[in-house]
Amino acid sequence: MTYIGAEEIISPLGQNIQENFEAVRENRSGISLVPKVGFNKEDIHLAKIITLIKKNKFEFLLIDILEKVLKRIDASIIPSEKTLVIISSTKGDLDRDISNPFAPAVAALMKYFNLKSQPLIVSNACISGVLAINAANNFIKAGLYEHAIVIGCDVISDFVLYGFQSLFAVSALPCLPFDKSRSGITLGEGCSAVVVSKTREIYTSSPLELLSGTSANDANHISGPSRTGEGLYRTIKRTLEQNNVSADEIDFISAHGTATVFNDEMEAIAFDRLNMSDIPLNSLKGYFGHTLGAAGITETAISIQMMHHKLLVKSLGYSEAGTSKTLNIATENRTSELNTILKTASGFGGCNASLVFRKL
Amino acid sequence: MRSITAYCQISEDACYVNGDVVAQKNEESPDSWFKQLYKDLAIEYPKFYKMDMLSQAGFLGSEFIKQTYPGLISSYAEDEVALLFANSESSADTDIRFKESYQDKGSPSPSLFVYTLPNIVLGELAIRNKFYGENMFAVLPKFAPDFFLQYGQIMFETGSKAVLAGWLGILEGKVEVSVFLIEQNKPDGLQFNKQNVIKCASPDDQA
Amino acid sequence: MDSLKEDLKKHIIEELNLEDLQVSDIDDDALLFSADGVGLDSIDALELIVLMEKFYGIQVTNPDEGKEAFLTINTMADYIEKKKS
Repeated sequence: MTYIGAEEIISPLGQNIQENFEAVRENRSGISLVPKVGFNKEDIHLAKIITLIKKNKFEFLLIDILEKVLKRIDASIIPSEKTLVIISSTKGDLDRDISNPFAPAVAALMKYFNLKSQPLIVSNACISGVLAINAANNFIKAGLYEHAIVIGCDVISDFVLYGFQSLFAVSALPCLPFDKSRSGITLGEGCSAVVVSKTREIYTSSPLELLSGTSANDANHISGPSRTGEGLYRTIKRTLEQNNVSADEIDFISAHGTATVFNDEMEAIAFDRLNMSDIPLNSLKGYFGHTLGAAGITETAISIQMMHHKLLVKSLGYSEAGTSKTLNIATENRTSELNTILKTASGFGGCNASLVFRKL
Repeated sequence: MRSITAYCQISEDACYVNGDVVAQKNEESPDSWFKQLYKDLAIEYPKFYKMDMLSQAGFLGSEFIKQTYPGLISSYAEDEVALLFANSESSADTDIRFKESYQDKGSPSPSLFVYTLPNIVLGELAIRNKFYGENMFAVLPKFAPDFFLQYGQIMFETGSKAVLAGWLGILEGKVEVSVFLIEQNKPDGLQFNKQNVIKCASPDDQA
Repeated sequence: MDSLKEDLKKHIIEELNLEDLQVSDIDDDALLFSADGVGLDSIDALELIVLMEKFYGIQVTNPDEGKEAFLTINTMADYIEKKKS
């Protein structure tokens, strides 16, 4: 069996998992209006960590999150050849060195913690986080490593903001996932981590069981979501089949829900095709913004907390159905026994990924 | 038994399939090196011109393999071919151009921005070949045969029937490209081991 | 007007990397976004918005407005003329 736990988050909502879950439980958003940051000096809504240092922040966040994770596990597994660090990120620290956005920060992380194995960087657009957790599980099941620390991190940059602006994909309001009046994403930044291991004893608090996950491509368009939700449909179907889990065993779906018109519609179609549209679902983008490479891990970490607290948190920003297929989107927090959770992600390049975890 | 059944390497001035030269750069030509290779393929795929160099590199490598062995990749079902690619530079070549578009040329270019992720090449290969299978793009400090060997095996163990893999070193004129196909239970090919991954894919060991 | 259309075609081929096309391949009334016409896609539409500002000083702030204006070379030329006058 593979375990998942020791979840940690650094975001505008807090410096650790407790602060972050507390904020989410209170339905607070990390999104605020940041003056004059747009390409034409417009004010833009962002989920920005205001207190974050300016220089080498990617490196700073990687080290900071691993320090926090260490307190949640047997720290002796860190300087070990049996432990792999996997970093999920789309852009790393491109403001530090655009030609080499990852290596300097990763070298610093290795040195700081005396890591014995070269960390692996998974860079697969917005599915990077889910894919990195799946990769960790695969490496452990194959017997290549015993433990994997999976870190997701992306920071806000002019580069990425201007890019999404050029696509007319940035919401004028804080993003409204799955809502009728949604009109684009709100960018966020953050760093989060989970620990995947074959050994239950390394965790200081009870972990969950991680089932194997899969990915699939839409084979349709590099920047537009599939109209049939093809890749998302296929990855969820494959993940459920590989684990012999049926759709009605899923208690909750932590969806991707970026709040672009086409993405959320695509997800609704995929869930409908899978007969999963009645399952309670949320998007956490209304709390954290879209943190790109960190998103899949942040959302997995919050979902783990939801399971521990038996609390289904509402999908912030949603009030009126706005997809052609109706989903069961959580409009209020509610107490709920969550035993099995499905996490999904979709991204540019037509990629989609999913994973399932459940209570022991 | 798993084996590398075909491989294509592209350097700054030559293209090889299974170690044999199939094209050499014509310095006199007005066309770029990759455009020359595209024309050599004699296929109709205008989308090629819209791709960035990273995507073009993966496209050319896989098309040269397909041309040498027609039917090699298409014999698999839609979900059966996994894509496993890596490099050291991520999408830096296009990142630099996108940054120029808003810093020096007045306006961020949407068609450049959509290529500022290294996994876009996987999307292009999936679209071209109708691959709905597994995807993985990793950024490594340098070419690492163990990564391909380990994750390639994992992809087979988790249900893929073939793995199209590649190292796509593209940055400001540098071209260190290899694309290789790993299959199982095939009589021909090179055994899928570290030595052969180095032979087929290492940028320092080009044919 | 004809030279405007010629210019427009040149810019479109250049900026949208339609290297397989010549100016003479694009008819003035060919549907730009139809597979039977020029076969442009949603990213090309956004790039046309950039092109409008870069070469003609016209700001298109709503992509939906672009959709109507960018039907054919003829409609694009009309749009430019109208915005400039």
